[in-house]
Amino acid sequence: MKKTIFASVLTMSALAFAGCGSDDTANTGGEGGSFEPSKTIEMVAPAGSGGGWDTTAREVARVFGETGIIDENMTVINREGGGGAIGWAYVHGKEGDAHSMFVASPPLMFVPLNGQSEHGHEDFTPLANMIADYGAFAVREDSEFEDLNDLFDQMKDDPESVTVIGTSAPGSMDHMQFVRIAKAAGVDPTKIKYVSDQEGGALTAVLNGSVDVFSTGVGETIEQVRAGNIKVLGVTAEERMEGEVLSEFPTAIEQGIDESFVNWRGFFGPPGMDQAAVDYYEAKFQELSESEEFAEVREKYGWNEMYMGSEEYNEFLEGEKEEIAALLEEIGLGQ
Amino acid sequence: MDAFQGLMTGFQVALSLEGIMFVLIGVVVGTLIGMMPGLGPISAIAIMIPITYGMDPAPALVMMAGVYYGAVFGGSTSSILLNAPGISGTVATAFDGYPMAQQGKAGKALAIAAISSFVGGTVSVVMLMLLAPALSSVAISFGPPAYFALMFMGLTAISSLSEGSTIKAMIAAVAGFMVVTIGIDPQTGTQRFTFGNVNLFDGFDFLIIALGLFAVAEVCMLILNRKNRSLSDDQKLGSLKLSKADLKEMSGPVSRQSFVGFLLGVLPGAGATIASFISYIFEKRIAKNPEEFGKGSVKGLAAPESSNNAATSGAFVPLLSLGIPGSGTTAVMLGAFLVLGVQPGPLLMTDRPEIFWGIIASMYLGNVFLLILNLPLIPYLAKILSIPRPLLISLVIMFSLIGVYSISFNVFDLYMLLVFGALGFAMRIFSFPAPPFILAFILGGMMEQAFRQSMTISNGSLSIFVDSPLPLSLLLVALVSLLVPAFLKWRSNRLAYKQR
Repeated sequence: MKKTIFASVLTMSALAFAGCGSDDTANTGGEGGSFEPSKTIEMVAPAGSGGGWDTTAREVARVFGETGIIDENMTVINREGGGGAIGWAYVHGKEGDAHSMFVASPPLMFVPLNGQSEHGHEDFTPLANMIADYGAFAVREDSEFEDLNDLFDQMKDDPESVTVIGTSAPGSMDHMQFVRIAKAAGVDPTKIKYVSDQEGGALTAVLNGSVDVFSTGVGETIEQVRAGNIKVLGVTAEERMEGEVLSEFPTAIEQGIDESFVNWRGFFGPPGMDQAAVDYYEAKFQELSESEEFAEVREKYGWNEMYMGSEEYNEFLEGEKEEIAALLEEIGLGQ
Repeated sequence: MDAFQGLMTGFQVALSLEGIMFVLIGVVVGTLIGMMPGLGPISAIAIMIPITYGMDPAPALVMMAGVYYGAVFGGSTSSILLNAPGISGTVATAFDGYPMAQQGKAGKALAIAAISSFVGGTVSVVMLMLLAPALSSVAISFGPPAYFALMFMGLTAISSLSEGSTIKAMIAAVAGFMVVTIGIDPQTGTQRFTFGNVNLFDGFDFLIIALGLFAVAEVCMLILNRKNRSLSDDQKLGSLKLSKADLKEMSGPVSRQSFVGFLLGVLPGAGATIASFISYIFEKRIAKNPEEFGKGSVKGLAAPESSNNAATSGAFVPLLSLGIPGSGTTAVMLGAFLVLGVQPGPLLMTDRPEIFWGIIASMYLGNVFLLILNLPLIPYLAKILSIPRPLLISLVIMFSLIGVYSISFNVFDLYMLLVFGALGFAMRIFSFPAPPFILAFILGGMMEQAFRQSMTISNGSLSIFVDSPLPLSLLLVALVSLLVPAFLKWRSNRLAYKQR
């Protein structure tokens, strides 16, 4: 019941918001009064320093400050552990706090679906999505596989002959993005051999021929492709990406496999965040997403723009979750 | 651009006024943070990242590199003086460094550590300079079967890390294996021994175990033996000067282990910790008087110290030339590179030679600075030992708590520190050695993962370990190092029997 009210409030405010110009920085939403942060905003990165979540949080906080889009200070704190679960539990305990948020990406869905966190995306207040990243499947430069269909045909004939490696645990991102595309190509998803290397040895294992395929983010492959060490058979984006090297990577869809996977990255508040605050942050994130300064950040890290407001984001997440849950179920990892 | 020309570019960066200044800032900050028990290069680098915002990448990265090897350089101090390792790479330093300090030779121990670190650091920079491009192929030559064999080889050393009862050493090692399985299993995502507690999902950080088993347990022993005044009377600085005999004794281990450390540092995942242990064991195995190890042996101190510093430079090979971070610390380093808009990888050398060679060239300078900086500080550092016992104990506990808290800002970890402290204390009282526990904890996790990765790749066939020459030869070395001491013992027993 509470959820329906929440959703309808969201819809209304999104409509109200859609009516306003994006240059209107004073916009704080039409419903339930206005909100302005009155103290330092705490931005939680549910991981240690130096990773993707940490970098995103720090860059967003920095650009918010430098451009003055949000005047109030933003500090990034790291709550590392359990693949994010510790950070999520921490934010979950701040119910209704309008000065707290965290950065998230698909593990917020994978980890609870694997039974490793009590909290999933539906337990938090989606504020906005900012970035899209995509997965890439790479093989050694001298590999016999020339495209995804070569690889998947081989896997259909003899699934034991191909090993896939990734950095995340089975049932999480690197594994499931591969399973998702391979299944669409007709490979039996229960027979995919996946090994996880969380100590930084995944790329090494591909380069020395111990394993065949590296399932990772596109950003991780660029330097190695430029150096002629590996080739990317396919990426999970819907359309060709832009940029040097990136534009050379064929999508799975181009190769006749009608499936994609987006590694979204956005921000969530604690449960029960006030609607006025949600509207405020949503507008601020949109302004940030459209700013030149943040465009530079995206370019620096090779991220793609993918802004979604709170409600659109929520719908997107619901759809993704359903699909992933079914896939996990199928390969026997669902809880 | 060839290497020589590149290096000249590098020295232009490192020897500019700006370069010298930032190397100096880096190593000073690094060595100071590294000296604190529990705080190591990860904390040091993470603290420095925001400072580099907006800086020119070359000097900024020269500084960050300085912070990194500076912290490893300084890390030995708390191991030697307080038995409280600041970083995992200096746990083995405490094995002989702390006993030496207890014998009233703290100054000498610190001097040996500083000189060994300097030589290890410098030798490895020379190798880094000459071989970085070539070595990137070594870094990728190890697949899962070879890693398994390497870890297995390391484990055969458990018996040589023990004093007295081999059975007790084995029990301690098995306990270490058991503890490392706690957490989410990376190969299946299954929770093991977590009792559903989210704090245990990632298992235990190495530092919690090291500080618990060493620092906290040591503090308990100090409290237990508080009436025993003789110890504190002995704890004087002692002479700083190293005798010719000392230098001669050091020269062997330092020159050998600088190479060993560097090579192990190059392998992603091995790093300074494993390098320091393997070097320690290596020297103990070949020593004429291995019984001195663990009781303040010069060799036992020099070996891990030269090795861990050499491994630190070695870790730059996969980072700079492949863009592969081989450890938690280099992963944070990689983050520092990306923040500055520099992508380490195979093209760094040609795209940004001033950065690639600048970092390497600055390391020569950095190591000299570290030596000049650390040697005169030794008398002051060693004075820590003359702090009244109750105050010192409180300080060690406080720093251990800070160090553990700074890993992930989780109070649960503090309780675990106390649990492992209690375990370490109990092990001391019942004379179970702690080093086999630590070694099994370090090697066991990686060994299990490598084994299971190999099994998946080979569809369950064990032949994957003997099919290619690298794992096979490592396993043979392991076998020899297990059998030879046993054989020698058997023969000497037989001879003794015959003579009778």
